[in-house]
Amino acid sequence: MKFISLVLRSLFRNTRRTVLTVLSLAVSVFLIALLQSLLGTMDSLTTSTASGTRFVVQDKASFTNTIPLAYSNFIRQQPEVEAFTAFQWFGGEYKDPKNFFANFAVDPETYLQVYREEANLASIPPVQVKDFLRDGNGCIVGRTLADKFGWKVGDVVPLKSPIFNLTLRLNIRIIFTGKRNSDEMFLAFHIKQLQEAVPWMKGRAGAFTVRARNPIDIPRLCERIDSHFANSAQETLSITENAFNLNMMKMLGDYSTMVHSISAAVLVAILIVTANTMAMAIRERTTQISTMRALGFRSGQILSLLMAEGLLLSLLGSGLGIFMAMAAASAAAKVGGEILPWMADFIITPETLFLCMLLTLGLGLLSTFVPAYRASRRPITEGLRSL
Amino acid sequence: MIWYLFIPLAPYLLWLVYAAGFFPLPLTYNWRSIWQRWAGTLSTVGAIAIVVMVFVVVLSMAQGVSTAYVRSGRDDQVVILRANSRVEMMSTLTLDQGRLISTHPLIARDEVGPLVTTDLIVSKQVALADGSGALSVTVRGTTAGGIRMRSQVRMLRGRWFQPGLSEAVVPQKMLNRYTGVELGKTFPMAGRFWKVVGVFDGDGSVFDSEIWTDVADLRQAYRRFSANSSMVVRLRSARDVPAFISDMEKDVRLKLEAKAEPDYFADLGDAGRPMQILGQIITVILTIGAVFAAMNTMYATVAGRTPEIGTLRAIGFRRREILASFQWEAILLTGLGGVLGAGLSLLFNGTRTGTVNMNTWSDVSYAFAVTPSLMGQGVAFSILMGIAGGFLPAWRASRIPVTEAMRG
Repeated sequence: MKFISLVLRSLFRNTRRTVLTVLSLAVSVFLIALLQSLLGTMDSLTTSTASGTRFVVQDKASFTNTIPLAYSNFIRQQPEVEAFTAFQWFGGEYKDPKNFFANFAVDPETYLQVYREEANLASIPPVQVKDFLRDGNGCIVGRTLADKFGWKVGDVVPLKSPIFNLTLRLNIRIIFTGKRNSDEMFLAFHIKQLQEAVPWMKGRAGAFTVRARNPIDIPRLCERIDSHFANSAQETLSITENAFNLNMMKMLGDYSTMVHSISAAVLVAILIVTANTMAMAIRERTTQISTMRALGFRSGQILSLLMAEGLLLSLLGSGLGIFMAMAAASAAAKVGGEILPWMADFIITPETLFLCMLLTLGLGLLSTFVPAYRASRRPITEGLRSL
Repeated sequence: MIWYLFIPLAPYLLWLVYAAGFFPLPLTYNWRSIWQRWAGTLSTVGAIAIVVMVFVVVLSMAQGVSTAYVRSGRDDQVVILRANSRVEMMSTLTLDQGRLISTHPLIARDEVGPLVTTDLIVSKQVALADGSGALSVTVRGTTAGGIRMRSQVRMLRGRWFQPGLSEAVVPQKMLNRYTGVELGKTFPMAGRFWKVVGVFDGDGSVFDSEIWTDVADLRQAYRRFSANSSMVVRLRSARDVPAFISDMEKDVRLKLEAKAEPDYFADLGDAGRPMQILGQIITVILTIGAVFAAMNTMYATVAGRTPEIGTLRAIGFRRREILASFQWEAILLTGLGGVLGAGLSLLFNGTRTGTVNMNTWSDVSYAFAVTPSLMGQGVAFSILMGIAGGFLPAWRASRIPVTEAMRG
């Protein structure tokens, strides 16, 4: 510890070089932290605890097909089922196709039961719930979404769906505040609207969400439902909601391989840059180091002083990078959340912070070790010759 | 878009080009100098090569997606959909409408009949070969005319499906990523079993992501007795396209929307947009980092060669000549990294993967397309890094007082 000022002095011996290296390190760590957190945020959608008790029943061939509502009779009879609802992706556009947000036609009463945590049912005024259930044109909207378009309770929202070639004018009856921002980028309305307007939707829905009393029952329940409909005209596929979300994410492509490869490439690049800086810094001080050794510093001490310098350099760089990433993440959550709903929950995750600390440690040690070791072993006489 | 960045720099670049030709300090001087400090040079070149490689490879993914769509369309073909439905999967077109359209006089014919096809598009979950789940794949019911009209599609093994037998053909490129649809296998769909009787190649088009079968079989399986999804017609010449489209839109019996095939696929090609945006953000961030690294190396070069600069000045070289010379040295350094990075990115060319098309919710298979244009952009970026990172050190080199510099 008593050598800390010596390490600091050596580090800032060439201020410009140190600052430039710290900046290039910071920028790279910034990028890695953002990319890894992006991945972490996407993953967190597939490991939500509330959805652990729910599963989705869809058509086996494709989730774009509809299934008969009559199937629900069997499912509802199962003793492990606590609540059940049917929904259909509407794909409605508000004014412009670019204003993308998730909107579903749902069975209103059961929907609020199944998703009571996400919709925070307890906090909604009972009069609003009553209004929503009574008004066939009513809809429920998340707070973030409502704020984005400036909607208030009582407003009329026209939604045009290219899938059904149908435009609905919906009255906002509830604006709910969910647990996560991404849960709030969402609109749901009465499935009756769709079933009355579209002939082939009569008595059908896109999929069911089932809530089990106990998560342990889910695998058994899924199997029983699927085997019950196994030889019918439309077979079903029951999967947990997390697995369903995971499938959706997977369809986007193999982003995790991409992010990890980019992170690795960037790491190699900054390792090279930092190693070069440290090598330059140590080479310049050959005489100084020999003098110190002539004064009685042991080579182990020299080595650890130099290593501390390298560690400090990478610590400064990644500290700055993580700081910038945190600032950027909150800005990105605000802007990105309007384009991609799950971006609204974008934060630098603790796992990412831990990863960045580890990387910093490794980077500092790896980049400094070779030049530092050589400098600490160099014969004193040779180092002093150039004095 | 990177080329716009060069516009404000144009006068400086022109001056640099002039300097390279007419100033007395030759570029070989710089070339030799960068290898004097080979360790620093290699590290900077390596770091910049990685940055450029990441840039080219990420953008080659976006390029790959749009290439798949560009390859799918023909100038003289028109896609007809229900109005407002954007993609085939969301469209419905009745059999009567189809018959009516196929009598249009502008439609081309071959020895068999008019070149028209009515297709039905559905999707199906197909298991991934690596066992990690299943993705939604487009299934296209088409006709013999449809096969003739997609000239990029060719049968590799087996044969085309026969109507009435519930047979299907799959693209060769799907077999690497998916399982359960190999030649000779049978898969269930819509309550029927379908036999895979052929493997085709779609030459990199979106048809490489689709299972094909007979449209009437598919319609029956899905109980859609009176309607298909869409129609594609070939016209006698690409010049007839606007006339045909306006005929379609004017016909009040139809209420349909017609689009030239290249336009239709170009609209869908934006499936690569998220990757493109991600790639651009990554590149901007990494470029800033690389500029700092290049600046560091150049400052070290200038510091190490101070006596040399002093000597040059003392024997009569002017300040601006020194400035140009060091600026060129920085560009050589980063440009070398850029060329190396662009070359390395070629290793990824042709890698096949898939992404979802948000319009159809189906998987689109594509190959990384490292094009000369992307590689050129990568090298251009590295040159920009050289200008940004080299200017300040070069300026400093040109301002060192002669006496001080000679003292060492």
